[in-house]
Amino acid sequence: MKINFKISHRYAVSLLESVIEKKKTEKVILDIQLIVNTLQSSNELQVALQSPVIKTEIKEKIIVELFKSKIDNDSLEFIKFVIEKRREDFLLSIALRFLELYDEHIGVANVEIKTAFEFTKDQKESLQKRIEQILKKKARLNYKLDTDLIGGFVAQVGDTRYDASLSHQLELLKKQFLKGNISLN
Amino acid sequence: MAEIRPDEISAILRKQLTGFESEVDIYDVGTVLQVGDGIARIYGLSKVMVSELVEFPNDVLGMVLNLDEDSVGCVLFGESSLVKEGDSVKRTKRVASIPVGEELLGRVVNPLGIPIDGKGAITTNKFLPIERKALGVIQRQPVKEPLQTGITAVDAMIPIGRGQRELIIGDRQTGKTAVAIDAIINQKYTHTEEAKKLGINPVYCVYVAIGQKSSTVAQVVAKLNEQGAMDYTTVVTASAWEPAPLQYIAPYSGATLGEYYRDNGKHSLVIYDDLSKQAAAYRELSLLLRRPPGREAYPGDVFYLHSRLLERASKLSDKMGGGSLTALPIIETQQGDVSAYIPTNVISITDGQIYLESNLFNAGVRPAINVGISVSRVGGNAQIKAMKKVAGTLKLDLAQYRELEAFAKFGSDLDQSTLKTLAKGARLVELLKQGQYNPVPIERQIISIYLGTKGYMESIPLIDIKRFEKEAIEYFEVKHNNIFESLKKEKQISDELEARIKKAAEEFINVFKRST
Repeated sequence: MKINFKISHRYAVSLLESVIEKKKTEKVILDIQLIVNTLQSSNELQVALQSPVIKTEIKEKIIVELFKSKIDNDSLEFIKFVIEKRREDFLLSIALRFLELYDEHIGVANVEIKTAFEFTKDQKESLQKRIEQILKKKARLNYKLDTDLIGGFVAQVGDTRYDASLSHQLELLKKQFLKGNISLN
Repeated sequence: MAEIRPDEISAILRKQLTGFESEVDIYDVGTVLQVGDGIARIYGLSKVMVSELVEFPNDVLGMVLNLDEDSVGCVLFGESSLVKEGDSVKRTKRVASIPVGEELLGRVVNPLGIPIDGKGAITTNKFLPIERKALGVIQRQPVKEPLQTGITAVDAMIPIGRGQRELIIGDRQTGKTAVAIDAIINQKYTHTEEAKKLGINPVYCVYVAIGQKSSTVAQVVAKLNEQGAMDYTTVVTASAWEPAPLQYIAPYSGATLGEYYRDNGKHSLVIYDDLSKQAAAYRELSLLLRRPPGREAYPGDVFYLHSRLLERASKLSDKMGGGSLTALPIIETQQGDVSAYIPTNVISITDGQIYLESNLFNAGVRPAINVGISVSRVGGNAQIKAMKKVAGTLKLDLAQYRELEAFAKFGSDLDQSTLKTLAKGARLVELLKQGQYNPVPIERQIISIYLGTKGYMESIPLIDIKRFEKEAIEYFEVKHNNIFESLKKEKQISDELEARIKKAAEEFINVFKRST
């Protein structure tokens, strides 16, 4: 996936503004999510979109064929517009940026949670509560399993990481020991 | 045999473990996008500051230099092979800083303040940022105290004041480092009880070695130790094998160490050996960070690189404690070319330069200072009156000698006065020769120059000049030690003192002539 912050940000902002104006956000969000899922699941499609050999008209046809009956007309028009402007290789990054911007707009924080083992429903609920308390807004928790953590969990919001894992504690402990200051008397 | 019981061990372990908090640790992270050649580009870390230290895996540290819209450019202070794409990077929330204080005296540290002399950890909790703003006009005052280097030629004709920036420039193998090391060794006197009584404040030294061979640095440290100069000196080193970013920040670290003394009303001398290598290191990392190259491929801000460093040298006003930071930057030229980019820059920034020439060095004039083009723009105000008086004609005499010397090479008929000028000049040149690691106290320098400029040496053969000087100083020391004492105390030559010097000099001439 090609990433260019400037380009994807610009397209995503304009899409968001227009859907808010048209009050069609719920519908478009689902469409964009579908696009992201489709693109992420099919490497072939991404390669095809990025290929300079395939003509723009053909790319457009492929996309229209794929999504025609499944997504809203506005969303389809947007994709066509992106392809027309020859930015089809940034489609995925535009879509992802759009989802980020939308979450910012409605005030939901995306929180990546890594746990050493599967959390129970109760644990998840209390974690959700606690995180929302800290962030002072709604949070969407995405769970991932990472056995390297040994125990505990790591939550990441944007660039900030809340580290309550056992492996990190051990790391800190090791550092403290290495620092020395051990006096025998 | 002493025994340690297991419960003792566990008690100590427990002691170390208490106070270890196991709360949630909150920190900011980013991801490495690209790494190579000591440079890393990072995605994330949106709140990071410029010149903040960041932590990579495997204990590699980095410093942020570029803040771009969607990424952060950062230099690595360790092996770039230990960092991989996709690694997470932690903010430390502290700008690159170095421990400061008297604890660092006698130590050899790297530019981040980590000791590399195997003498254990440095126990100080005072940290100062490596990059600090230079002081403004209000906080300063003109240079007024002398900083004696112990080199007669320098102290007489190119005097350096405390708070001055004096460039030492010359080709390789002309004794640039030797001048600087002699200046450090000569500060030993300022730490004695005697100096304290005379009102001379101690000078703490920092020697910054940039891009040099580790063996050379080890030699310098050994020499300083041997001379007892490490007691008041810190050595900061970023050797040639170390990554360019460390070489780039080394002089700033040294300046920070010196500023600690300055800001506490004390005096410091910082030697940057040498800034051409630092500029080359900065060029390397600038090009890797894709900043556009300019003249000689140096980046556009290479002037600022040196000006912001040397501006930190200063003499503080009495209100601020009156401390000082003297800087002796060193620049290596190629084939005596002072019009290259870096030499012209640094010449224009500093308050004068000591120019060393390989011709002179090879001709046996050591230190190989070309007094004709060496200047000190502010040090004259700081020179003590006695020295000013005797050295007044010295520079002129030498200049005349140099001019005539060129003609005299063609031989043949020279009139009496020309011959006299030539003879005097040759004797003065001989007088100013001085061995390495042999700093001469100021009062002895004054007597030597007095004898040279007042014509006492005219009748002495050229080869005997050094012996003459040595024996004269010994004679004064044994028979007229009070002259040295008065010079030290009064710092000027009164008529009465001059009469005494004259009498002693005449006495000595007779003794010397009889002995030969």
